[in-house]
Amino acid sequence: METVTNQLVSIEKPEIVAPPDWQPVIIGILCNWCSYAGSDLTGTSRLQYPPNIRIIRVPCSSRVDTWFLIKSLQTTADGVLVSGCHPGDCHYISGNYFARRRFLVTKKLLNFVGFHENRIQFSWVSAAEGPKFAKVVSKVTEDIKKLGPLHLYKKENFEK
Amino acid sequence: MDYTKQIQEIATRLFAEDKIDVFVGYRLTGFDDNQVPALIRESKDVPLLVFNQKSVFNLSNYLKNDHTRNKRVGLVVKGCDSRSLNLLLTESQVKREKLYVVGIACEGVVDDAGQKMQNCLECMVPAAVVYDELLGEANMERRFIINADIQDMAAKELVQRREYFEEVFENCIRCNACRHSCPLCYCAKCCIDQETATLYNGANTTSSAFHALMTWSLHLAGRCVDCRNCEKACPSHLPLHLFHKWNERVIYENFQEHLAGVHEGDRGAFYKYSMQDPDDFIM
Amino acid sequence: MSVETIVTDKAGLQKFYEAIIAKNETYAPVEKFGKYDFKLVKNLSECDPESPIAKTMSAKPLFFPRSAKIMKYVATSAGTDVSETDEDPLAGKRVIVGMKHCDARALQVLDKVYNWDFIDTDYQKRRLNTVVISTRCDKAETHCFCTSLDYDVENLDAMDVLIVNGNDGKVYIKSKSEKGIEFLNSGVTSHTSRVTEEAAGEELKKQYTAFSASFRLKMDYKSINEKLSKIFDTPEFENVSSNCVSCNTCAFVCPTCHCFKISDEKVKDTGVRYKSYDSCNNGYFTLMAGGHNPRPAKYRRWRQRAMHKFVYYKERFGENLCVGCGKCTTSCPVNISIFEVINQVSK
Repeated sequence: METVTNQLVSIEKPEIVAPPDWQPVIIGILCNWCSYAGSDLTGTSRLQYPPNIRIIRVPCSSRVDTWFLIKSLQTTADGVLVSGCHPGDCHYISGNYFARRRFLVTKKLLNFVGFHENRIQFSWVSAAEGPKFAKVVSKVTEDIKKLGPLHLYKKENFEK
Repeated sequence: MDYTKQIQEIATRLFAEDKIDVFVGYRLTGFDDNQVPALIRESKDVPLLVFNQKSVFNLSNYLKNDHTRNKRVGLVVKGCDSRSLNLLLTESQVKREKLYVVGIACEGVVDDAGQKMQNCLECMVPAAVVYDELLGEANMERRFIINADIQDMAAKELVQRREYFEEVFENCIRCNACRHSCPLCYCAKCCIDQETATLYNGANTTSSAFHALMTWSLHLAGRCVDCRNCEKACPSHLPLHLFHKWNERVIYENFQEHLAGVHEGDRGAFYKYSMQDPDDFIM
Repeated sequence: MSVETIVTDKAGLQKFYEAIIAKNETYAPVEKFGKYDFKLVKNLSECDPESPIAKTMSAKPLFFPRSAKIMKYVATSAGTDVSETDEDPLAGKRVIVGMKHCDARALQVLDKVYNWDFIDTDYQKRRLNTVVISTRCDKAETHCFCTSLDYDVENLDAMDVLIVNGNDGKVYIKSKSEKGIEFLNSGVTSHTSRVTEEAAGEELKKQYTAFSASFRLKMDYKSINEKLSKIFDTPEFENVSSNCVSCNTCAFVCPTCHCFKISDEKVKDTGVRYKSYDSCNNGYFTLMAGGHNPRPAKYRRWRQRAMHKFVYYKERFGENLCVGCGKCTTSCPVNISIFEVINQVSK
């Protein structure tokens, strides 16, 4: 298997080849108080980041139910990024501590049943960290571009 | 392990002292050595009760039942059953004062083929942790054993795991028997039964089976006590324990050795947090 | 209609199966996780036509799928476009091997309800295009009671081709319908040793006698029908249903249960409507808009299931909605036996 091809295949399903102009779709679920403000700062600071991310604003990272992630992956998304306040900075005092536990278990479980671990990523971005947000999004997009398109358990209307 | 006589004595005594309205135990099916859970309501039926290594089903499931609601219940629990009972008590689903719990220091139950069940071989809490009366000797202190299936599965490549689990989800027939037989699934309206079009649906497609089983196992993460009622109920014989044991392992290793329902008043892993929780997977 | 019987041996039967699978779209029991389910097979090695009843799902999903798409829709600014779904994957010409008599009989029972006030054309098409090959069991399993019900297991005509493993080591392949004759002449068998009805009849009878003697469970269905119809209000239902966990497994594995629910899978503006199995043991089954539930208690739902099987269906169509396969009992997580229960209730 030494042949080098330029074809990008899905890492979970090597039989699926990405179309030449394929661009990943990433769902970004951001907490209202830190990460969303952080992304805002990125924009107002005129920092570049890849346009692959679609942002959803939630009150707190602990608002992110595990099915948000599952459903995103089952529909359009090739990857999900969840971002919240740094530990200790939660607007609701302890929301992100609860979220942190859930994220770890969800990530590990989805990895266990066959999703690449980089399909779901998490970050802590504060309202002052505009450059960090740009960096995080760039990294996630890079990671997912390497993994190829996601074709696992997609809902009926998304079967290609 | 045969506590038939002791359990019959206890049940007779409880009925005589008018301490309970219904006693939940096991009886023989009447045609083979398998057992059926029995909800005994009169002392004349007490001689039907048995308990031995064939008493597999987790009886704390019956506490969410029409027949036990608002009644004083006598209940037989093994180690794993008592852990789920502990969680039900913590989550205010049952009242302790309405229960008379007969705990068993369990030595392991056997499956249909007569083999000791895998979860019993790897059991960490064989003796009941909640009880009014304990039958047998509770002296077994054990260490955490990683489930053998989990170890095999985790050693596989990503693509192999994906192939294996795709078959699991394809063979799911969405009967939801796993949920109904789970003692810890007590929601009056389960989220995977919502008829809302955009979220879940009852259709038996691989995608909806994936969605339902993932959500179900994540709701039980940090709460599952590995009684394997779900696997016993599954008509497709799916290896459902893989999800739960994997979550149990992740939670045990990362969250201060959390084990569901072992200590009184201890909530599920997702209902508490610690500053020491791992943070390295977050950017 | 001429009836033919082919006599062959075990090896000949294997060849027969191989020829069927090579020439037809064939469904057969395929083992996965220790349970057999009917699936499309490409060669004989991947399936087991002799799978045990207790470990095999019924063949009902091949006629009444666990989940069938019934329509698609797209919401546009001009309105909603409703379109037909893709072609039914089960509608083509096909053969099912490895069915048992109870399974075949279940189709006969289901025909009644599908030909009733509303004719289910999808079901009819699937029935019409399918050749059912059924094997007579050699021995009854623990929970089998087919011989105690209102159909003649020996002379059952619900299948197109009957296979009997005779006690003399020979295998008898017999056509039971026009479709079956046509099928046997379509080149799936090269055997020429065809015997007359009378010669084969004796051996088939012998095999049946041995088979029917192996039943542990026996009852008189007539008295059950009669008694159950009179005891709607008996408190005994509450007792026998007390240890049921309402897990619905029984209805999902039952070869004759035919209740379904409608659900949508909608993403953005497009959606698919599915018809999927449902169970009357489910608390939401009778829940109406507004919150009223005519069967709120478990024992009422349980009673409905038992009464539908042995009273209501009998009154309407003249048949029991139970074929005695025992699949519900073997699948039950708490080992409740429908046989024991109906006998206890109607005592």
